[in-house]
Amino acid sequence: MTKISLENITHHYGDKKVLDKFSCSFEEAKISCLIGPSGCGKTTILRLIAGLELPTKGIIKIDKMIATENEELLLPPHKRNTGFVFQELALWPHFTVYRNIAFGLQDREGEKSSHRVNQMLDLFGMSDKAKSYPHQLSGGQKQMVAIARSLVHRPEIFLMDEPMANIDVKVKENILEHIKYLHKKYRFTMLYVTHDHREALQMGDKILVMNKGAIEASGTKEELKNTDNPFVRSFFIL
Amino acid sequence: MVILTGCRNSPDKVVVYCTVDQVFSEPVLRDFEEKTGISVRAVFDTEETKSTGVMNRLIAEKENLQCDLFWSGDPLRNVVLQSRGITASYRSGQTALIPAYFKEKENHWIGFSARARVLIYNKTMIPPGALPHSILDFTLPRYKGQFAIANPLFGTTTFHVAALFSVLGYETAEQWMEELKNNQVIVAASNGDVKKSVMNGEVAFGLTDTDDAFEAKKESNDVGTLFLDQQQGGIGTLIMPNALSLIKDSPNSENGKKLMDYLLSRETEAKLAASCAQMPLIKGTEVPATVPSLDHIIPMKIDYRKTAVQLEKIQPWLKKWVEE
Amino acid sequence: MARYVPAGLVALLLLGPFLALFVRWLTGPDNLSLMAFINRSTLLLVGKSLLLSGTVALLASFLGTVCGFLFYRLKLTGKGFYKLALLLPLLVPPYIYAVAWRDGFQWLSGNSAVSSPEAGMIIVHTLVYFPLAMLITGTALSQIHSGLEEAGLMRVSFAGMLAKIVLPLIRPALTISFLLILIISLSDFSVPAFFGVNTFTTEIFTQFSAFYNHQLAIGQSFLLVLLCLTLLLSENRYLSDAPFFSVHVKGSKTKHYPVNKGRTFLHILLWIFLSIVLVLPVVMLFHQALSGREIFFSRAWDLLGPTIFQSAKLAFSGALLISFTGLWVGYMKERYRFPHLNTMFLLTFIIPSTVLGVAIIKFYNHPGANFIYTSITILLIAYVARFGFIAARIIGNGIKQLPGSLEEAARVIGIPPVKRFFSISIPLLLPSLFTAFVLSFVLCLGELGTTIMIYPPGTELMPVKIFTIGANAPLALTSSMTLISFGVTLFIILIFFLAAKIIFNRFRYD
Repeated sequence: MTKISLENITHHYGDKKVLDKFSCSFEEAKISCLIGPSGCGKTTILRLIAGLELPTKGIIKIDKMIATENEELLLPPHKRNTGFVFQELALWPHFTVYRNIAFGLQDREGEKSSHRVNQMLDLFGMSDKAKSYPHQLSGGQKQMVAIARSLVHRPEIFLMDEPMANIDVKVKENILEHIKYLHKKYRFTMLYVTHDHREALQMGDKILVMNKGAIEASGTKEELKNTDNPFVRSFFIL
Repeated sequence: MVILTGCRNSPDKVVVYCTVDQVFSEPVLRDFEEKTGISVRAVFDTEETKSTGVMNRLIAEKENLQCDLFWSGDPLRNVVLQSRGITASYRSGQTALIPAYFKEKENHWIGFSARARVLIYNKTMIPPGALPHSILDFTLPRYKGQFAIANPLFGTTTFHVAALFSVLGYETAEQWMEELKNNQVIVAASNGDVKKSVMNGEVAFGLTDTDDAFEAKKESNDVGTLFLDQQQGGIGTLIMPNALSLIKDSPNSENGKKLMDYLLSRETEAKLAASCAQMPLIKGTEVPATVPSLDHIIPMKIDYRKTAVQLEKIQPWLKKWVEE
Repeated sequence: MARYVPAGLVALLLLGPFLALFVRWLTGPDNLSLMAFINRSTLLLVGKSLLLSGTVALLASFLGTVCGFLFYRLKLTGKGFYKLALLLPLLVPPYIYAVAWRDGFQWLSGNSAVSSPEAGMIIVHTLVYFPLAMLITGTALSQIHSGLEEAGLMRVSFAGMLAKIVLPLIRPALTISFLLILIISLSDFSVPAFFGVNTFTTEIFTQFSAFYNHQLAIGQSFLLVLLCLTLLLSENRYLSDAPFFSVHVKGSKTKHYPVNKGRTFLHILLWIFLSIVLVLPVVMLFHQALSGREIFFSRAWDLLGPTIFQSAKLAFSGALLISFTGLWVGYMKERYRFPHLNTMFLLTFIIPSTVLGVAIIKFYNHPGANFIYTSITILLIAYVARFGFIAARIIGNGIKQLPGSLEEAARVIGIPPVKRFFSISIPLLLPSLFTAFVLSFVLCLGELGTTIMIYPPGTELMPVKIFTIGANAPLALTSSMTLISFGVTLFIILIFFLAAKIIFNRFRYD
């Protein structure tokens, strides 16, 4: 079942057109990987789905409801039940790890929030770092806090924007395993933006290869391996 | 957070704009407050700082005047305000005691306690017998680079120069000013600066007002003072009375009149004589021994209104004189 | 719409007086001779003023950059002390600094005057304004990533790396520091008047004060404003991208260079510089205060005492209002791409203070607005107009350094805007807000040019009283009053720093 659909989306940054009549959809409870070179519009798609940006034209539907129509925000970001891991992680530097994860949750969940936060800390093996500040953590630990913060709300949609940049392979593997485990447990719809084809092949139920604001090809990893599209073949070094 | 203090519309207040040094004028205003219960709201400025604040404020406020009484250190500013239709005529009961010479014909301004222009010198820098007798002597080679005046575009110096133009005639005065310049006269920022330069021994002579000279003598034993042009047939010394003008359509004009009456009294003149050696205009006012009497000074014979007109004429030339 | 209503209101309150004055000037009685003042001598005077202030800006930016490098990029013992001590001239009104410094110079050099009035003006302006350059370039220098310099050091010498890598990287900061000091120096009246230097600003002042020719003076001021605007807008790109200054640069990986050879020599040089900038004028003020026939400190205290609370209260309210406005303007510019408010504050910042005074009087002095004109609200309006730009730039710079994603991350999880603002943005902006607040406080406390024209009758304010009483009082009394005002300012700032320490500790994370 389609969870998110983008219909005829055109988007500009100033005079620069980044998406031109772009359409695609994402299946519920699946992991979709958006892959493509820098500046091809991957991050923009995540930001549009999250409601952080409004398209110049086009419709975005979530659960078949129109969330954004042209430049009108019909469903604000916090009502889209989304978790977002930013490329630069955006951990609040003045909050401890615990507060970074708990922030906003207490208002919604009250007493239950501490249990949820501790559960997340346990899951990522970060309980001993609860009182640390972000700058006291390693790169991998920061990633885990950012992921925990985004998932502690139990979102239905989970958006990750190239979160594994500058992380060593071993830590990356560990984090990806955690994500897979959580996906299995909570069945969220996940969009994972990367420019690393190995991550995409490892994670994606479906992979969308983007170039210059359009989708060059999409499908499962097997389907893409058999494609004749020269851009896709060169991108995946096939 | 913003606490609104400032003026409230109280019937028992008077607003005075004052260009006379605050240190001398404020105690007099406080005495009036105590005596009458009328609250005095003052805006102070000083001629040393060119009176920019008060004068420009009065001119800019013309369409909705806030001030009741203007207290100036010399009448020229009152003449300027009169010519712009900002002053009102008021014949105070005290006016009778003031000589006619120090009053505007239609009572747009009335003078009281006067100062005079005076030479101050540093005794340690002058050989005996080297004192000049006339202001005109400062073009002599022996005073080269040894004489300071304040910027003649501003304050009492501008008044003094305009008076000299009135008395000497345009050509003679212009020539004298040129020769003064050739004799390397030092143009200081203000009268206070002239006083300071003489006290510090940077120059031997300076022209300033009696109140500055009075302060200088209090501060240093090395400073002497001299009224110039006192010889028979001489041009005399410029006398500058304080001048009061009631402001036209002012919000508290009745209180303005009361304050004006108070300031024109013998009592005020005595206080100003004691605090800053101002010379009373009302005969018989008690003064300390150190304060000179107008009876013993030969005054420069000028018409204050005509001098103001003269000033307007010579100002562009003076500006050039200063800048070149 | 929501942004236009408050913006319109602020424009009416602050820009209204200036525009009304402009219209009045255009439609004034002498409108036939509107441009009559633009002649050869005016242009020559403009050229001379530009040359003098340009020299000041060049020297101050040079000294500021050297000091910025020494105190922000070297591992130098006592650099915090040097930085703080060299900032102190900013706390003293330039006129008083000029008097103290010239007297000190003459005392040292056995009564020989400064060789030329122009030299005196240039030296005093340079010494008073270079701390601004130090703050601006220092901030820029602490934002350079170490990798950029290290990569340079692999190829060229240290000096070569400074010239080829560091200086080009901080060019926006150098440009804005140069332009800002040029404009401040160009619009200052007090110091050139004190040294008897004829500049375009003293010419405007002369038209106001000797000739009472408002029409001409206002016309000349518009020329000055136009000149400043042209200078600023010609470098608009740098103006909006320059770092201005902030107290704290987070997450920067700046390289700090050790000082091995010549450490003693460097300290000697710095002490000589400190003596010229700070010790000489302060010692001179003490010397003058104590060498009179009487000790005037108690009288000076009696005179200033009643003004201190009122002035501090007013400056405090002014600084709060300015910081709040600066935060709003900064936010509108950096987060909502709405730069018009910033441009408006730039305009009110470069209007000469006397003209601003006249504009405010003409605009607010009518019966319907008496409640504003006759209360201290009028001073607060003037302060915001004069200093809002500086606060907006400091805070705007702070906002620019905060990644937008920090707020977006909170937005996605449903944190409401107000909570987002107070929980995320404000704590992270505290250093910038504090800098803007303290600087605004100091500027409001010392503001004289506009204040003297509009302060409500009966209000006693510290700078006005020092200026009016100091004019004809014994030197010892004037110096005592200056020292008291300096001490009071320092004391209040110290209290602010202590209070800030407590507040910052609540949000401490490093």
